[in-house]
Amino acid sequence: MADVDQRSAGVAIAAEHVRKHFGHVEALRDASLQASFGEVVALFGDNGAGKSTFLRVLQGIYRPDSGRIVVNNAQVALSSVRDAQRLGVDTVHQDLSLAPDLSVIDNMFLGHEVLRRRSLRAVGALDRRRMAEQTEAALRELSISLPSLRVPVRDLSGGQRQAVAVARAVMWSSAALLMDEPTAALGARQSEKVCELIRTVASRGLGVVVVSHDLPRILSIADRVVVLWRGATVLDVPSKGLTVPDVVATMVGYRQEAHE
Amino acid sequence: MVDAAVAEARDSLSNEVDTRAVPRSRWRELLATRASAIFLLDVLLFIVFTVLSSHGVFASLADVKALLLAGTEALLLAVGLSLMLGAGIFDLSLGANLVLSSVVGAKIINALAITGPNGTATHVGVAALAGVGGALATGALFGLVNGSLIAYARINSLIATLGTLGIGMGIAYVVTNGSDVAGLPTPLQQSFGLRTVGPIPLPALVALAVAAVAWLSVRFTRFGTRTLAIGSSRVAASRAGIRVTRYIVALAALAGTFAGIAGFIDISHYGSTVVNGHANDALNAVTAAVIGGTLLEGGRVSIPGAVWGTALAVILQGGLVVIGVSSYYQLMAVGGALILAVGLDRFTVQRREQG
Repeated sequence: MADVDQRSAGVAIAAEHVRKHFGHVEALRDASLQASFGEVVALFGDNGAGKSTFLRVLQGIYRPDSGRIVVNNAQVALSSVRDAQRLGVDTVHQDLSLAPDLSVIDNMFLGHEVLRRRSLRAVGALDRRRMAEQTEAALRELSISLPSLRVPVRDLSGGQRQAVAVARAVMWSSAALLMDEPTAALGARQSEKVCELIRTVASRGLGVVVVSHDLPRILSIADRVVVLWRGATVLDVPSKGLTVPDVVATMVGYRQEAHE
Repeated sequence: MVDAAVAEARDSLSNEVDTRAVPRSRWRELLATRASAIFLLDVLLFIVFTVLSSHGVFASLADVKALLLAGTEALLLAVGLSLMLGAGIFDLSLGANLVLSSVVGAKIINALAITGPNGTATHVGVAALAGVGGALATGALFGLVNGSLIAYARINSLIATLGTLGIGMGIAYVVTNGSDVAGLPTPLQQSFGLRTVGPIPLPALVALAVAAVAWLSVRFTRFGTRTLAIGSSRVAASRAGIRVTRYIVALAALAGTFAGIAGFIDISHYGSTVVNGHANDALNAVTAAVIGGTLLEGGRVSIPGAVWGTALAVILQGGLVVIGVSSYYQLMAVGGALILAVGLDRFTVQRREQG
């Protein structure tokens, strides 16, 4: 995994000393993380530690009160999800955000549909052939195999749906991929496959930030581990040598002084 | 079923790729749809009624024309409603919209066409054009109000359109003082309402053209895909950057415009408004759409299903009359068919989810 780091060209996404409060509640006090290109960063934290808020800051949903956001080596101000997407940051939501009645192809291109040329373009006719080709290519790139691209996503298994959601986000992001609890709804074997997929995504050059409660699995595929505790980053280290008990202890606040 | 069981067994043997979601061949898929089932039911009923009617009169040209004309307005409403259902929204006010649009159209025509002492009218062409415009504009505006209430005021579509149903009918009664606007110039009927192109009434042709365009839109365009995406998962659609509120307003306005067309067809067919004849139109549209396979929950639309669902109601209505059974039984038959069709579907969906 270390050699991936060598190939990376700087910062895919980073947040430095981010503060965010809602009324009297200080959700984030001093949150930081950094994912280089080609790197998987695990973001751990107990419930209420501020993981969701932090993720939403990176997604462009919340504007931080203070602190810096960096995307693709440049400081940016994200004021909407669209902003983040334009800069190449896309998200795989916990609920996957797929339209279950639409086919894999239509889901991959939702909001980015490819239209036919000339007069058919004016009436919004879809170029499903090209959409199918690009979908196939995108899935092949990530070594995802599906029984069919034309069936409704509803008919796929949980792991297959997760794979479609990841492939879609990868297709439309150029800098970083944010993942919210990618293994929460999956069985053991499917979780393993998704973890493999996360590594594949990183090896294709994107920076990946994974928020998860699935410590053992995500720890084993992460390059770096960031732990949030009461709205602040209390641990930001390479994953090498780190054990699940270490992480848990930090998450609940016992061992933070040991790493400071 | 045997195929499915075999597929399951084979599946559990090969652990590599989960292949349960392999699509059937296009032909088998088409045969398995609800629209096809209802179409076959239509054909069956048509044959049965033809055999049972004296001298096979049910299949006569005049009868078929009457059937087509009877289904025209219902089809326009069913197609508009299907599109709305695709996005997961509902419209109970389509019948009221039809009535109000017909009243506005009729008033405009009567105001512009000058009827002479011997019944001949002048300026009918201009008056008719203005009437079409008035009816369509009223329908679109009615839908626009519905859509705005649903999308911007965030009122549940059932409640919003229940409200506008009352308001629309109320306005129609106020404008007409409770009596129908009659005495529309007869050229209106001759040149449009009762005119046929070959064996097909011109209004039915209009409705079928609308249905065809709607079908193409659902299947092959960005508009259709995004509509279904909204009905399938509103959150997913809006996260994908689709402007959900705009789509909802547009869909409601579109269904309203179709109701406006139906309103104009109503007056050009009867030569008068039929204010009290459309109380059940919206619910009939729901029946036709849902019977044909469109999901009330959104995300799945079948325009052919709406066509065959509308035809089912019309064939039962006409057929029972022809064989001398009270048409009251038509209500029961259509109601029964609706419950049966949706009930069978639930059964198969459950099987699939358990399997």
